[in-house]
Parts: sequence; structure tokens; C-alpha cells
Amino acid sequence: MRQNYPVTLHGVGMSLGSTDPLNLDYLTRLKDLAARIEPATISDHLAWISIGGHYLHDLLPLPYTEEALTTLTERITQAQEFLGQRILIENPSAYLLFTHSTMTEWEFISALTKKADCYLLLDVNNLHVGAVNHGYDSLEYLDALEPSRVKEIHLAGYEEKEDYLLDTHGYPVHAPVWQLYQEALKRFGPVPTLIEWDTDIPPFEIMMAEANKAGAYMEEVCLGEGRKGEEGRWS
Amino acid sequence: MELKGLQQLFYQAMITKDADSIEALSQKIAGAKSLTPEAGLEVYRGSVIGGLTKGLISIYPVCCRLVGEEFFNATAVSYIHRFPSLSPDIGDYGAEFADFLAHFPPAAQLPYLPDVARLEWYWEQVFKGEDNKYLDIQALGAVNQEKWNDLIFSLPKNSVFFTSPYPIHRIWEVNQPDYEGSEEVSLSEGGVKIFLWRKGYDMRLELPNDEEWELLQAFAAQESFGNICGRFTNQSPPIDVPSLLPLFVQRGWIAGFSL
Repeated sequence: MRQNYPVTLHGVGMSLGSTDPLNLDYLTRLKDLAARIEPATISDHLAWISIGGHYLHDLLPLPYTEEALTTLTERITQAQEFLGQRILIENPSAYLLFTHSTMTEWEFISALTKKADCYLLLDVNNLHVGAVNHGYDSLEYLDALEPSRVKEIHLAGYEEKEDYLLDTHGYPVHAPVWQLYQEALKRFGPVPTLIEWDTDIPPFEIMMAEANKAGAYMEEVCLGEGRKGEEGRWS
Repeated sequence: MELKGLQQLFYQAMITKDADSIEALSQKIAGAKSLTPEAGLEVYRGSVIGGLTKGLISIYPVCCRLVGEEFFNATAVSYIHRFPSLSPDIGDYGAEFADFLAHFPPAAQLPYLPDVARLEWYWEQVFKGEDNKYLDIQALGAVNQEKWNDLIFSLPKNSVFFTSPYPIHRIWEVNQPDYEGSEEVSLSEGGVKIFLWRKGYDMRLELPNDEEWELLQAFAAQESFGNICGRFTNQSPPIDVPSLLPLFVQRGWIAGFSL
């Protein structure tokens, strides 16, 4: 695979938001894998999955406080030094907010990517799910992000529950997410984009059609907006 | 509230679902636009418990089929309460499941279930374990005859052998997705000795006879070939090691040797 295609390493195990020490055994294994694969990027999530050495294997929410910002900055810096490269952090899908947060998610992410000197993996579906669940403005979120930090985009399908949207990666990308994707492309240019679909995976043709749709939007928005000089970035 | 305390509280709310943790945490949560704090927590809890349960089902599909999904899910919740995951790799989760089942009263009617679980766990470990090396026949052939007695043979490094008083290999076999035929297994078929290993990507579930089993144990104990031959020749009934050895080599059960 790697001989013919660029590969990214996207993980859920770093537990960057945890107050535990970083798991150096995990990072060592990741570093060994990266040496073998030579990935285009390494990414993980703005979340925690462990506490007290016990793993919950789910991307759990953080309060957006100065303490959390300092914790994440230190840990991302440590991880990047260990891996010898900058990593991408993915924005979460949120189902609750902490009352003692002192900043919004987008303010937190903007500050974090700058302080830790890391990149952002912008999950447009997660952004939409959080915006609908909590009633914030998706475009205000996008406008707050520094374009040079956005190095990859994820798209996925959510499930409409009675009271909220649930990020399941088991459906086609919904229309509002495609619209938001176009807004992201206007702001960030032709950023490499991945369709995430890891439950109820459909036939390959359907997956390919989703990927082609993303490609068509990228071409339409980015070429249509006078970015022809950047064509090589996604061709 | 400090981040560490918040995460400890969150952990308790997810795993034990105790009312005090949930209430304390709910005071700190704004909830989503149309979700109460408790409902927001339940979304995460459903995902945490669901993820860990899915991880167990992926390792123990036969156990799940034997007891049914509803029973398995309830069993998984009890297991998750008692045994936290200690690795960032969810594939590592579930090592104690067989022992847990052995002492889980609701499963007592299925006495073979813990051993089926043990087989599934070993299968997973051998499948994802390191590749086995192959015996260098030429190097073995070059060993001076005078040193044959000093040879110590080794089994494939990534292998397991274990026994059960129940025909778990048959129970496992008839519960495979591609199995066709009668699914009836009688416990009166008796127990089994299993040697599990992997040749390339091909999993091998072998059923050694008593002689082969004894010889496997001797090789695993790193006994010298001379010692094994002497001991097995003098026992009653004797075991003809020189005639079994080529069979072991042919099957790939011998992966190396040292002097």
C-alpha cells in the first residue's frame, strides 16, 4: 500500500488531554511504525481516553480552561519532541460542555495550535454536530481558525437522534456538512480530505462516490476562487 | 474543579455509573441544547461501554454466540466494572475474561464456557503475535552426529498448548460463521489437548495424541534430545522419539534448535 499511496497515521490512543503521564510505550510503538511507514502526517484527538492508567477507549470531553490548555500544550509538545515531527489534533464532537470553561472550543483550539505549535485536523462533521448540539455558529468557529494550521479535513455521516446529533461514521455525509465543507475550503484552500466511514461500511462504489464528491467540491470551490496556482496541491 | 479530579469523577460515572459521581459531575455540565447534563453523560457512557463490549465481542464471538448477545452484553458490563483496560490498544482488553466467566454465577450452567473463552483469547494472541520462524533443515543436517544428544529443539515461539475437560475444539468449530453441518456437540465426546500456532497467516489448531503431547511438553521444557530419548525409551509404555521427530518437523512443530 505504502509503495503506491501516501499514508497518514490517525490514532485514538495518545490520550493527549489526560492528566496521566504520556504513555511512552505507546509513543515508542507509534514512532517505530512511523519510521516504517513514513506517513504524510500523524494525528490524534483533542480528548482524553485514560485516567489513573485505566483506559476508556472513547474520546472524552475537556473543559476549555487555562489549566487544560497548559496540560495539552505540554503534552503535545512532549509528543512532538518524542516523535520528531509536528502532529495534527482533531476537533471533537461534543455532547456536553463544562460550566467552568473559560473559552469556546474554537478559541481553545486556536490558542492550542499556536502555543503547542501543532496543526489542526479539522473534522467538519464534528464541528457541525457540536454546533447543532450546543447552538453555536459554525462559521464563527471556522473564522476563528488560523488557515496555515489546518492540514487535513475529515468528513463523515452523523445519526439524527431525537434530541441531538450523534457522530457515528455510519452514514453518507449529510447536506449541511457538505455545505460547511465548502465554507472550509473557501477559507483553508484545497486541504487533503478524508471520508470517515467505519461502521456499516457500504460497497466500495459508494465510498468512492463520496470521495469523488469531496474532490468535485474542492475543485469547484478552490479553482473557482482563483486558486488555480495551487492546483498541484491536490492533483 | 481541577482537571484531574474532573477526569476521575468522569471515569467513575462512566464505569460504575454511581449516583454520587453522576450528580457531582452534572453540576459541572451545561448539557447540549436539548440534552440534560445527565443525558449528555449517558451519550458518552453508552459509547464507552458499547466500545469496550464491542472489543470483547470481537475477541469472543463464539462465547457471544453461545450465550446470546443480550446475555453477553450484560456479562460484559459486569466484567468492565471489575477489570479496567490497562492499554491504549483495545485489542489487549479481555485477558481475564475466561477466569471471570469461571466465577460468574449466571454462566455456571455452561461449565465449558470459560475454556471456550480461553481458546478464543489464545487464538487472538497467536493470530496477532509475531511471525514464527522456520526450522533451518540444512543447518540441522550439518550437526555432527556426536552432538545429537545435546540438541535442544524449540517449538514455534508464537504458540500455545492447553487442555480442557470439554470438547471445546468441536464447540468452537460448529460455531464458526462458515461451518456447515450439525451443530450438535455432546460433552460426552470428552476433553481435548490443543496445540495452537500460526504458520504464515494460517492459524493451526492441532490436536496432538498423548505421545505427541508428551513430546511437545519435553521440547517446551528445553530438555536435551538425548535426555528426552532416554527418558521416553525407558518409560512404560515407551515412546519412539526418533520416529516422531520427522513428523514434528514435517508439520512445522519444530521451529529451531540450539546446542
